[in-house]
Amino acid sequence: MVITGTRKGIGRYLAEYYLQKGMTVCGCSRGDSDLVDTRYHHYNVDVAEEKSVIAMIKDIAKRENRIDYMINNAGIAAMNHSFLTPLSVVEGIFKTNVFGTFLFCREAGRVMSKNKSGRIVNFATIATPIKLEGECVYAASKAAVENLTKVLAREFAPFSVTVNAVGPTPIYTDLIKNVPQEKMDALLRLQAIHRFGTFEDVSNAIDFFLADSSDFITGQVVYLGGVSS
Amino acid sequence: MKNEQILQTVVSIVSEYQASQGVECDINQETALFGDDAILDSMGLVNVVIDLESEFLDKGIEISLTSEKAMSRRNSPFRTIDTLVTFISELINEH
Repeated sequence: MVITGTRKGIGRYLAEYYLQKGMTVCGCSRGDSDLVDTRYHHYNVDVAEEKSVIAMIKDIAKRENRIDYMINNAGIAAMNHSFLTPLSVVEGIFKTNVFGTFLFCREAGRVMSKNKSGRIVNFATIATPIKLEGECVYAASKAAVENLTKVLAREFAPFSVTVNAVGPTPIYTDLIKNVPQEKMDALLRLQAIHRFGTFEDVSNAIDFFLADSSDFITGQVVYLGGVSS
Repeated sequence: MKNEQILQTVVSIVSEYQASQGVECDINQETALFGDDAILDSMGLVNVVIDLESEFLDKGIEISLTSEKAMSRRNSPFRTIDTLVTFISELINEH
């Protein structure tokens, strides 16, 4: 299994969760990881750097001879009014969220296509369907990820590789720690179920996509908390 | 790498792909890979490109057959086995 953005937050949780399930996990982040496990392999990779991504996936494919699961968790956000958002921030968010997801889908998908089997799960967000103010660029980048997911699902289907996405609600991570409480409360009220999501909510949805019996589920985006598009 | 070796690799990869699809056919330098008379459909060509890149990488040669340079050529390098061999030879020599 390959998971991007495993140094902290949801990615770290997912790495530990799937290690506990007995899987071999290859993770990456821009910095070092302190996650120690004989079945965990860490790569210092910027997900938007094509050569590094290619080298990482080739190394994994060489060692493990296959990639069964790819989870594109790495993501960044910047919350601000669009009037106050410099282009460099827009570029940075799109590089990590869109370009990074595309690169790992392409490279992992190529390896999976050889084995005629594979599961790719991308990360969307409820900020996209609810058109969240202050999240213009983040929501747009994840809208792009949703479309990538749906088109790649069709392109990869002949190779028996599924591509889906999970769209989490706010969870207490670094991504939202600086958002004012009243903003968070207003956001939670837009969900059918008015609570913060948990890491377990996310892994539950991912487990569904990864299941052997989910081979007829592809191109889908599952939003948590009862948000719909 | 000599053109003869590249030709052998390309013919071998295309033959293997055709065999995996249950198709038997004679493959030579003039065999069309792309266009009206092509022996491969679009997904077949995708498969062959991926397999060729992997095969050359296994030989220690890193090439990208789908660069902007390849895609923007007036005449596609994927027209025939022969044009593909010439294109790969050019890529290897650039290294």
